[in-house]
Amino acid sequence: MTIANWARYGLAATLATAAGGVLIYRRKPGINHDAAPARSARHRRRFGDYRVTGATVTIRATPEQIRACWQGNAQLWPALEYLPFPEGNQPDLLLPPSELRDMASRPLLTRIVAEREDELIAWRSEGEGHADMHGRLRFRDNGAKGTAVEVIMAVRPHHFASAWKTEAMMAEALELGLLRDLRRMRMLIETGEIATARMRPDAA
Amino acid sequence: MRAATFQGKGDIDVRQMPDPAIVNPRDCIIEVTSTAICGSDLHLYDGVIPGVEKDDILGHEFMGRVVATGKESTLEVGQRVVVPFTIFCGQCFHCSEQRYSNCDNSCPVEDQEVAEKAFGHPMAGMFGYSHLTGGFAGGQAEYVRIPYSDVVPLVVPEDIPDERLLFLSDILPTGWMAALNAEIAPGDTIAVWGCGPVGLFTILSAFQQKAGRVIAIDGVQGRLDMAEQLGAEPVNFHETDILDALKQMTGGIGPDAVIDAVGMEAHGFAIDNIADRIKQTVGIGQDRAHVLRQAIMACRKGGRVSVPGVYGGKADLFPLGAMMQKGLQLRTGQTHVRRFTAELLDLIERDVIDPSFLISHRLPLDEAATGYRNFRDHQDEWIKVVMHP
Repeated sequence: MTIANWARYGLAATLATAAGGVLIYRRKPGINHDAAPARSARHRRRFGDYRVTGATVTIRATPEQIRACWQGNAQLWPALEYLPFPEGNQPDLLLPPSELRDMASRPLLTRIVAEREDELIAWRSEGEGHADMHGRLRFRDNGAKGTAVEVIMAVRPHHFASAWKTEAMMAEALELGLLRDLRRMRMLIETGEIATARMRPDAA
Repeated sequence: MRAATFQGKGDIDVRQMPDPAIVNPRDCIIEVTSTAICGSDLHLYDGVIPGVEKDDILGHEFMGRVVATGKESTLEVGQRVVVPFTIFCGQCFHCSEQRYSNCDNSCPVEDQEVAEKAFGHPMAGMFGYSHLTGGFAGGQAEYVRIPYSDVVPLVVPEDIPDERLLFLSDILPTGWMAALNAEIAPGDTIAVWGCGPVGLFTILSAFQQKAGRVIAIDGVQGRLDMAEQLGAEPVNFHETDILDALKQMTGGIGPDAVIDAVGMEAHGFAIDNIADRIKQTVGIGQDRAHVLRQAIMACRKGGRVSVPGVYGGKADLFPLGAMMQKGLQLRTGQTHVRRFTAELLDLIERDVIDPSFLISHRLPLDEAATGYRNFRDHQDEWIKVVMHP
């Protein structure tokens, strides 16, 4: 076999291997059905073009009390990083918290689109913000431990939205920020205050 | 105010720091009357606990008098209190089950993530014990801000001196919980590794909880002497093969329960400990778990393993096979101090126990650096250091 043949067959073999690999990769079942939330999948934490992320905590309170805190506790709102909160005059309009507010010149306004008492509040961004965002708060009875509160956000950044960090970084920050937000909400509901190690009110 | 601050590994300095003030409604401020250096402070001093920053105020064993209260505090100015080292909210799921050191709410949110990565879940806040536990200013200072003052501090009687009450803040309940975790049945034989302050209070607690025999293991003769005075049978690991001795002393069965009151900085020239020390020094190992390994190997079949000693990372060569094959149970955890304080205060008030026997040195706060250095380097004489700001 000549060197030219070797090159020809070698190239063909390489291409065949690559094509086979792609086929095997594409035929690999994505996520088997199991009881885990979809957002905890190892790969493909996506729904179409949307990146899905979220967090869960259990709060020793009823869904009604948790909802009341989210809707009416002015001490909570400045502490939120990523969880939108209701605007006073229009209860179905949600304002962006600090991190989302600072990311772009145009605020990302969201509006409540579905509510099921003691179970779910869902919202969706509106207008020409820097991203398309869907979110929901879901309440689930967690027995004697309280109410499990889950927040899920699905985000699709608009192309070339310069204010956004890279998508992966954004998703990571969003997940961490949502967990922090839920934990601050739990602190306020359960203890009446947000824990701090500051030695003085004016300390950093 | 003056406070003992961390300036780097092995470097403690008393410096002028800002006075604390009320931040949250449930806070109070206390003026510290007595504070102690704990064996676990030495883990910070030695730089083996991560998350300690320059100018952090140390100290988690302290008591004092209330000088200011927030509007939701139930304390009154002038009341005398002992402050548990674990900060807890009193309302979360864990607090509702009296697992105060597992409190979900007391560690500031922004300090929860490192511990969550390291341990799977965030920890409760603690005074003066690194930013893994919230970065709260500690009690080796003139004043301290106490969060959740309606539930955390223990109000104590006026007629009992500080030195008999101070250890309710940590080491006395820690020894008590260590003995409880060993599930002692009347007449049981218990082996306790480490005769430092926690080990000695563990021995005291084991006898209070009806142990028949306590075997105390250490390498410092002065501490073994104190253990013997409490009724324990001392064994010096420098002179004795511990596993062989424990088998001989228990008729070949082994102790019913073993208690590791040493933790992550085990001493001695055992091969595994030397390997741990080398790995720790070059940065490829974390905890030196020689004592825990030995305790598990020594424990009788079906026995209990209690671990009050502090561990902060991962341990190599953990004898999981021995745990499983012998059917051992392991119980551990930071102390849920406030769960035990009322019962222990009662024992002190009735003169059943007097924890002040432990104090070997009394110093002004300004000599904190001397206290730390000697407590670490001269363990034969410096058993427990109490400082008065």
